[in-house]
Amino acid sequence: MGPPTADFGAAFADALLEVGKACEQVVVLDADIADSCRTEAFRKAFPKRAFDLGVAEQSLPTFAAGLALAGKVPFYNSFAPFAVLRGLDMIRQSVAYNRANVKIVGHAAGQSMGYTGPSHHTVEDIAALRALPGIVILAPCDAEETRQMVWAMAEVEGAMYLRLPRGAAPNVHGPDFRFEIGRTYCLRRGGDVTIFACGDVVALALEAASRLDSEGLQCQVVDVPTLKPLAAEEVIREGEHTRGAITVEDHNVLGGLGGAVAEIYAERLRKPVLRIGIPDRFTESDEAPVLREACGLSVRSIVEAARRLRGRA
Amino acid sequence: MQVERAPGRALLPHRDEKIRTGLELAAVDQRRKLLELGRDLGVRLHYGAMFSCIEILTILYLYWMRLRPSEPDWPERDRFILSKGHAAPALYAVLAACGFFPESEFRRFRKLSGILQGHPDRTKTPGVDCSTGSLGQGFAVACGMGLAARMDGAAYRVFTLLSDGECNEGSIWEAALIAANLELDTVTALLDRNRMSSYGPMEGRNDVEPLAEKWAAFGWKVLECDGHDFFALSTALSAAQECRSKPSIIVCHTIKNRGIPAAEGRHMPSNYALEERNCREALERLDMRERELTDGPADG
Repeated sequence: MGPPTADFGAAFADALLEVGKACEQVVVLDADIADSCRTEAFRKAFPKRAFDLGVAEQSLPTFAAGLALAGKVPFYNSFAPFAVLRGLDMIRQSVAYNRANVKIVGHAAGQSMGYTGPSHHTVEDIAALRALPGIVILAPCDAEETRQMVWAMAEVEGAMYLRLPRGAAPNVHGPDFRFEIGRTYCLRRGGDVTIFACGDVVALALEAASRLDSEGLQCQVVDVPTLKPLAAEEVIREGEHTRGAITVEDHNVLGGLGGAVAEIYAERLRKPVLRIGIPDRFTESDEAPVLREACGLSVRSIVEAARRLRGRA
Repeated sequence: MQVERAPGRALLPHRDEKIRTGLELAAVDQRRKLLELGRDLGVRLHYGAMFSCIEILTILYLYWMRLRPSEPDWPERDRFILSKGHAAPALYAVLAACGFFPESEFRRFRKLSGILQGHPDRTKTPGVDCSTGSLGQGFAVACGMGLAARMDGAAYRVFTLLSDGECNEGSIWEAALIAANLELDTVTALLDRNRMSSYGPMEGRNDVEPLAEKWAAFGWKVLECDGHDFFALSTALSAAQECRSKPSIIVCHTIKNRGIPAAEGRHMPSNYALEERNCREALERLDMRERELTDGPADG
């Protein structure tokens, strides 16, 4: 029996409804998949503040920008590849450059849509948005973090992207957890290797750390829920006492968490970084856990990487 | 020449030659300012795209829209989005004429730390409601703003100017369909139909005809007018405002490079430097036009 799990979509749906009650400026936009995006509770509660644009994903960022410039707080929703990449130039010009207070919600991110295949997987959303000035990128690791992120998105001004996995994950954070944009959270202390992880694969990092503990290798495990702006000083603090870092993400190893941590390590710590994620290739169809295992996004890979780092010392 | 500010959104009274003459003189001023800008700074400009929409921008900013230039963020102001962002200097000219910023800002046009970027930037230029430049987007943002206006029951209206070449962008039609489905009667689009895009005449190449029929089929109230005629523009703006449950579009038939004798109605490179003699000729033509408007037509 593992730890209790909770569903990302349910947490998002509940939180969206709650912020809708608290802030009447919150508006929801969908593109014909309100069911998959779990916005139906909000739509039912606030039918005059929810709009389905139809199968028109490149209009999500522009309509949201118009709403935001007129004082609304729009949350727009689609599967992550379409929320981010279909209208990427719209996000660049009309959201980021326009400094519009738009909240982008990419659902079923990474390989979490499993069998639907690479058209519906997102291996590049973090990389694409990291290079856009002014966008906050958030990737929750569990339901509680999701809930608090939705609140932060509503409360804090600025263009933001929520990278939401599909399905459930073990509850990583306890009841005392307080999410803040731009912070990292140390989940486990250890002096040998630092593991930075984001999204639902944080659970893999914790499991790997437990296994490594039994062979005398102590891992520091750090949840990095804000990919941008990345807290460089916190990354250094979490990593300066260990031999090197492992990054774990359900994203291309290029340009995501691994790339961001490697940039900081290269400039400031001069220590090795081993990146675990999706190799730079398109994915395939199957169940998400099978796909992750196949691309090396697994507890075993993390354990092996930690042993390699120990061997280097 | 400052045009007396009307209370906004009122039909230009027919045969009120005083107001019309004031707007004509303002249009002369805008064109002169842009010619001098290109000449004095020695820069290339989108003359064709700017000069076809001078009357449209002039009537919107100096007569039609409700604005408070001393309070650019006045919540009840009418909004305007220049979807064809490459005509930015023409927008800057009317904004300066309204008093949103001093004319001296033109000296730092397209210069580091200046407030007048190559394309509109709402964070830098007072009076600019949306940053544009990537075609096919400002129009959609205007529809989003129109949605907010309707949700709030706000008094303001949203205007946007797009180009005919821009109608090649799929995002225009996606947004057009959504705006009609949402019945956004808060939105008035003006389409600068000068029949040329960057690479030449659109006919037989990247044609958008039948244009009026397309917009009507997408559920928009379609009006057509001579985009250089202030009375016609005012009549169309008024009709658009009366329309309920539908967004409106005014197809403004215009002439590219209008007012530059060497280029008027002709295809030129989209972004070009005007030869000195052609610039001088255009300025002389404007001076003549100004004298006609102030003194009455010259004899003979």
